Amino acid sequence: MVRAAATVACMPGPDTAPFVDRPDGDLAREVASAPAGQAAAAEGELYRRFARRVRLFGVKHLRDDMAADDLAQQVMLIAIERLRAGEIRNPDEIGSFILSTSRMVATGLRRTERRREHLHMRIEPGEPVDMPRDERLFDADRIKPCLASMRERERTILLLTYYVERSATEIAAAMGMTAGAVRVARHRAVAAMRDCLDARRSA
Amino acid sequence: MTTRPSPCLSIGELSDYWTTDISLDEIEHIEAHVFECSACTQLLADADLLRRGIGDVARTGGFQAFVTDSLLNQFARDGVRVRTYAMDAGGSVQCAVWDDDDVLVTRLRADFSGVTAIDAVLRLETGEEWGRTSDVPVPAGSHELIMALPAEFVRRAPEVPIRLSLRSTSALPGDAPLAEYTFDHRGALSRRSK
Repeated sequence: MVRAAATVACMPGPDTAPFVDRPDGDLAREVASAPAGQAAAAEGELYRRFARRVRLFGVKHLRDDMAADDLAQQVMLIAIERLRAGEIRNPDEIGSFILSTSRMVATGLRRTERRREHLHMRIEPGEPVDMPRDERLFDADRIKPCLASMRERERTILLLTYYVERSATEIAAAMGMTAGAVRVARHRAVAAMRDCLDARRSA
Repeated sequence: MTTRPSPCLSIGELSDYWTTDISLDEIEHIEAHVFECSACTQLLADADLLRRGIGDVARTGGFQAFVTDSLLNQFARDGVRVRTYAMDAGGSVQCAVWDDDDVLVTRLRADFSGVTAIDAVLRLETGEEWGRTSDVPVPAGSHELIMALPAEFVRRAPEVPIRLSLRSTSALPGDAPLAEYTFDHRGALSRRSK
C-alpha cells in the first residue's frame, strides 16, 4: 500500500492545471471514481493543495521540520490510498478527513521515536512538500528593515513572542500592558510586517 | 478553489497559531478552517515564515529595541555575543564595540516612578540627532530599562561623545529629561589589529 501511494507523493509529472480551480470535493471524487492510479493529475493537485497544510500542522505539533515533512507525506499517502479504495464516503469532506488523519498520525509520531524511525524506513524520499510562496520574501535581510520600521512596543512584542517564545501574559507583565493589549498589538504588528514585506517586494 | 465554511481569518489571528498562548480550542478552530481554505493556508504559511525570519534576525542581533532580561537570556542560549554597559542617570561610560560583538546592551538606571512610557533620543555632541525611539513602555516599579543596539550600527557611529536623553512620553515641551547618559564612543576595535 505504501509503495503504490509513494508514487503519488513523488509525482511532478501530471499536468494539474485542469484541476486548479476545482473544489476539493471534485478532486476527491475524481480520484475515487477513476481506476487506481489513473487520476494522476487530480491526485497531484490534491497533494499540492493539502500537503503544505499537513506540513504546517506538523510544524506546530511536532516542532520539527523533518518530522513535519514525514507527516505530510504519510498523511497524503493514506488519504489518496483511501480515496482510491473508495473508503471515504463523502469526498466533499476530504479536508476534514485529512485533518483527522493528521491528528492521528501525529499522535503516533509523538508517541514513540521508534515509530517515527520506522516511518522513515518505510517511505521512500519524495519531492519536498510544495511551498509555492517565495520564501526569500521572508529572509532576514528583508525582515530587518521592516522590523526596524515597527513601533517600539510592537517590535518588542514580536521579538518576545517569536524569538523568546513568551506568552502574551508574560509579555504583558514585562511591558506593563494587559495580555489582551499584547495580542491586539501582535495582530497589528504581524499584518504590518506582511504589508511591509509585500511593499518592498513590489518596489 | 476550495469551499469556505467559516469566515476567513486575518493573518494576525492566524499568527496566534504559532504562539505559546493559543488555547486548544483556538488551535482546532484554525486547523478546521485552514484545511478547508487555501487562502488561509497561504496566510498561515506566511505567518510561519515571518516568525522564523524574526527569529533569524534576532539571532544575529540585527535589531534595535528596548528588551527584557528574558531576551538577553535567549541571546545567551543562542550564543549571541553581547557587550554590556550599565549607567546611572547622569552617568558616562567609555564604550566601544569589538569586531566579534553582535549586540551592544546598555542597562539604563533611573527613577521611572509614575512614568508609563518614554521617548529616547541619541544626539552627537554637535546636537545632530543620531537615533530616536518613541513610546517605549515602562512597567510599574521599573528602575532600569535595557537598550539593545546592533553592533554593526554602533560600528558606524562617529568616535565622539553621544548623549542619550530619556523623556516621559507625556512630558510637555520644555520639561527636563528624566535622565541623560553619555556614551564616550571610542569606535570599533579589532582584536586582529592588536
